[in-house]
This record gives sequence, C-alpha cells and structure tokens, in this order.
Amino acid sequence: MSDTFSYLLMAWLDPQLLLLTAVGTLAGIYVGAIPGLSVTMAASILISFTFSWDINNALALMVGIYVGGVYGGSRTAILLNIPGAPSAVTTAFDGYPLAQRGEAGRAIGLSTVMSVIGGLLGTLVLAGTAPYLADMALEFAPRDYFLIAVLGLLLVSTLSGKSLARGIFSVALGGIIGLVGMDMVTAQPRLTMGSMALMGGIHYVVVMIGLFGAAEAFYQLHNLNRVPVKQKVDKIIPPLKMVLKYLPLSVRTSIIGVVVGALPGTGGDIASLFAYDHAKRTVKNPSSPFGEGAYEGLVAPETANNAAVGGAYVPMLTLGMPGDAVTAVIIGALVIHGLNPGPMLMIETPHIFWFTVGNLALANLFLLLFGLTGIKVFSKVVEVPKALMIPLILVLCVVGTYSINSNMMEVYWMLGFGILGYWLKVFGFQMGPIILGVILGPLLDETYRQAMSSVGDDTGQFLLALVANPLSLVLTLVIVLVLLSQTPLKPWVKRRLSRQ
Amino acid sequence: MSQKFERVQAGEKVFDWLLLLLSIAVLIEAYRIDGIPGLNSPGSFPMGLAVIMLASSLVILASHRHKRRDPRIRNARHEFQVFFHEHFQPHIVVFTLFAVAYLAAIVWVSFYISTFFFLAVMFIYFRQGRVVSSLIIAAVAIAVIYGLFTLVFRVYLP
Repeated sequence: MSDTFSYLLMAWLDPQLLLLTAVGTLAGIYVGAIPGLSVTMAASILISFTFSWDINNALALMVGIYVGGVYGGSRTAILLNIPGAPSAVTTAFDGYPLAQRGEAGRAIGLSTVMSVIGGLLGTLVLAGTAPYLADMALEFAPRDYFLIAVLGLLLVSTLSGKSLARGIFSVALGGIIGLVGMDMVTAQPRLTMGSMALMGGIHYVVVMIGLFGAAEAFYQLHNLNRVPVKQKVDKIIPPLKMVLKYLPLSVRTSIIGVVVGALPGTGGDIASLFAYDHAKRTVKNPSSPFGEGAYEGLVAPETANNAAVGGAYVPMLTLGMPGDAVTAVIIGALVIHGLNPGPMLMIETPHIFWFTVGNLALANLFLLLFGLTGIKVFSKVVEVPKALMIPLILVLCVVGTYSINSNMMEVYWMLGFGILGYWLKVFGFQMGPIILGVILGPLLDETYRQAMSSVGDDTGQFLLALVANPLSLVLTLVIVLVLLSQTPLKPWVKRRLSRQ
Repeated sequence: MSQKFERVQAGEKVFDWLLLLLSIAVLIEAYRIDGIPGLNSPGSFPMGLAVIMLASSLVILASHRHKRRDPRIRNARHEFQVFFHEHFQPHIVVFTLFAVAYLAAIVWVSFYISTFFFLAVMFIYFRQGRVVSSLIIAAVAIAVIYGLFTLVFRVYLP
C-alpha cells in the first residue's frame, strides 16, 4: 500500500518530474490549440526524442502533452471557430457563438474548469477499475484478445470518418503496413516486395510521424493565408454558482467520456460527440438554444473529451490495446522502453501504472493553473503564421524520424506516408484508424494464430470456443451486433418499432 | 420524389479507382507469401486484410452511384481542371518539390546547411519576400534545433 502511494505521488514530489509534467501540459495546451499541430503529432515526434530518457521522464512529458492537448483544442474552437483538435469540433458549436456575444473569457474559464473535472473523474475511474480489469485480463485466452482487437478495429471503422467502407479500408491498410517484414513465427518475409530494406518492417513511429505530422503540414497548405477573427477575452474565472449549476451535467458527460474513451479504438472526438448529443437530448431549458451559445453545449463535450483521456488509458494499461491514437503512440513509447503494456504490466511494473495515475491527476491540476492564466500570451502564440509553421513541422518530422534508427531510408518513408496521408485526408479518410490498424494488425495476427494453434488448427473447434466460453460469447455477440447495426437491418427494425 | 445525393469531390472517383488498384497489388503480394494460405499460416492474415481492402474499395466505388458531381462541373475535362486547381496550387507544388529536394540534399550537403536553405527559401516564398526577417528566423530555428535536439534531447541528427 505504501509502495502504491509512493508511486502515485512520485511525479508530485520529484522536482524534475513535476517540471516535465508542467512543461508538457503547457506545451500540450499550445500544441492542441494551434490549428495544424496535433497531440498525436507531438506525441509521435516526442517518442523518437525521448528514446534515451528514463521512462518516468518520458511518460511525464507525454501525459502532460496529452492532457493539455485535448483541452487546448477548445481554446481556438471558442476564440476562432477553428477547433485545434478533433475532440474540440463540438466545442465550437456553442463556444464560438458565446465568443461572438462577448463571453469568450467566461466560455474559456468554464471549459477549463469542466475539462479538469472530467479529467480528474476519468483518472479516478482509471485508478478504480484498471487493477480489477487487469486481474480479469490474466484469464483471457488469445481468442479473447483477438475478439477485443476485432471489436476495437470495428468500432474505429464504424465511428470515425464519413463512411464505414472508408473506415474499414483505413484499418485494413494500417494492418497491412503493420505486417510488412519477417513473420515472427516462421521468419518468412511478408509483403516486402522482395526488398531487403523492408525485411525489418516499417517502424510504426515512422508511419505515425508521416501520417500525423507531414500529412498535416501538406494539408495545412490549403489554409495558408487564412486570417482568424480575433475575439475580446476578459473575466476568465467562472463564478462558483455557475460551476455548481453545470456540475450534474459534467458528471454525467464524464461518465460518457470515460466509457467511450475506454472502448478500444475510440477517443475524445467520439466521446465529445456522444456527450453533446446527450446534453441536447436531456437539457430541457438550456441557457441559449443549442448551437447559438448554450453553456450546456460547451460543458458536455469539454468534460467528456478530457474524461476520455483516463478512459483511453484503461484498455492500454490493462489489455495493451490503445484507447485512441495518442495511447497507440504511448504504447509505442512503453514498448521502446522495454515494457509490456497489458495485464502483465500491473504485475511486473505496477509503479508505471500508479505513476501514470498520479501523473494524470497532476497534469489536470496544471491544466487548471495554465488554463485560467496567460490568455494574453496565448492569443499571441496561436497567431503564429502558417508560413513559418509548416516548413518547421516538416523539419521536426525529419529530425524525429531520423532519430529513431539514424536511417535516412526511414525519413524517405516518412515523406511517402506524409504524401499518402495528405491524399487520404483530402478524400475523407481519417488517419486514426490507419494507425490503430498498424498497432493492432500484428496483435490480431499473433492472437489469431495462437488461438488457432490452441485448438489444433481446427476451424470447427475455434468457432465452438467462441460460443462455449462466456467472455468469448459476449464479445462475439457484441461484434455481431456492431456489424448488424451497420446493415440495412437497423433502419428496418426502427421502422417496424415506430409502426408498432 | 426528391432524393438527396452526396457531393463527390473533383478527382475522388479516380482516387477510389487507384485504391482498388492498390488493393489488388496488396492481394497479389499477399498471395506471394504462401499461395492460397491455410487458416493458420504466415499468409493467412495478410491475405484476409487484402481481401478486406479489396472488398471495401469496391464498396467505396459502388457508393459513387449515390453521389453526384458538383453541378458547376460541366464535364470530365472541367473536373480535371478543378481538381488540378484545388490540389496543385503553386505553393503546394513548390513546397512538395522543395521537401523532396531537401531530403535528397541532407545526404549531400549536411543537415544544418540543407535545413537552413529549405527554411529560408520556404519562408521567403510563403511570406512573399521579407528576405532579411526570413533569414533571421531560419537562423534562429537552426540554433534552436541544435540546442534542443543535440544538447537537450541528445539525439542523432542526419
């Protein structure tokens, strides 16, 4: 118990970790706020720089960036009607009308407080549930991991992007990229096109930097000369009465955020959409109509997307499956440092888990501090012209990629993925599912083959095991339901029910 | 009866055909691993994913039946012109070409020199002049990159 507390408070008591968390959170707010920069991009590039660091230092910085970045997106959504991050898209619906009404300061203050409430509740849920889930996960068979990974990829495909087919294509493309190289079991080359350079596979950080960094730099060239409209900001700290008024809604939407965030493959963007929808359906008398500056429309997504951070860590730390694109990157960081994300992490290195929990709570407190101060400096920084930012992003991508293996070939690959990512983005494909495919593809391959080997490669036995085991049965049913929900059956059932 | 059609972007259909070709290429490459694979073999999963890619790209192509071109686009030639105008704007083309040249130059001219030239040229081009301030910003950026990555992060630079 005393060990748990010392791990929990490690980031709070060590000056270096304290500083790194503070720097990470502050940097995250700016990274999240500046359109064109994203948390995933920053985390991907950071992985390569923090190779040689102590794992706690690297994690402290990344946790700070993650927490700050998810919140930071809301700032520009409110002030400029340009969401800095996908999770802040819904924030702009009511945040920007509030700013236009001259209430930008109040909107930023309220979104900060609600983000912190959501973030702390998410962390609490992580601390309370993850140890039990990890214990349960020790009993999981390879087929259960396989099913969870399938479910995660299916959810990513269905919940993101403008069409299911595009989502599935992205996930499969990611899986293919993840499988390039020698087979881990037979050492047979796979998808290498006969190239020796591809025998070792394509490093997932290279793919991440290309798709999230370089592709975004190219994409932002479309808005090179876009000049944001400035808003007047004052009275940031919200009155206590106001916070208490919206507290019940924030608790409800925090729960939505944690649950959605904990589903493998989803994240803050989907959580905020669900929360906004919940607020619209349940709040009878909003402060203004939704979409025209309702505080409820600001509170719901802002609480949910920060609560989703704690939720996203649950499958990552207990099952080794990323809750969203950022946790996919953090999994990469853990693996690089020789750790094994999954149920064994809690047994072999419990300090990493409790350190992360303490660090998340600390980052949320820094968020409160930085969120309610320094708005004047912030307004100046987010006005950095894209003409300066875009070339610098590309240079950072080059430096980040080269520092992984000191290999120029990987830098060329990064640029290739950047150009591919640009065209995919242009035509409505999302990058998140591709990255999750890259991470989960090899895991699916491994668990599927383990599951098949465990039943002597007998397909009948494999299918029987899916329905004979209670957990496998539940997972299989959920997968079938998710699949059915995407067929014409769902509208048909709805029509039948409405007729009755 | 009015039916709502989704708008298709200029060039989207061609891109979706290219995705189909990519899927076929991946399928062929997956087949080369071990032919028609057994259920538990190195080729089974790549083959499965390639089939999923192929099927989803066919669905994407089929979805064009429910989409309509922008009414302002008159014909295929006009669509090509719109596509070219949207995605091959001079600053996008220039940035892409300079990015490729920059990566090629790193090996020959060294990282710092090529990065300085890349940043300086791009700043001057994007900001339409302002040569002195662009050169100063590029020099400061190089100094920050050196300080941050070599001294603080201690990473190897190209």
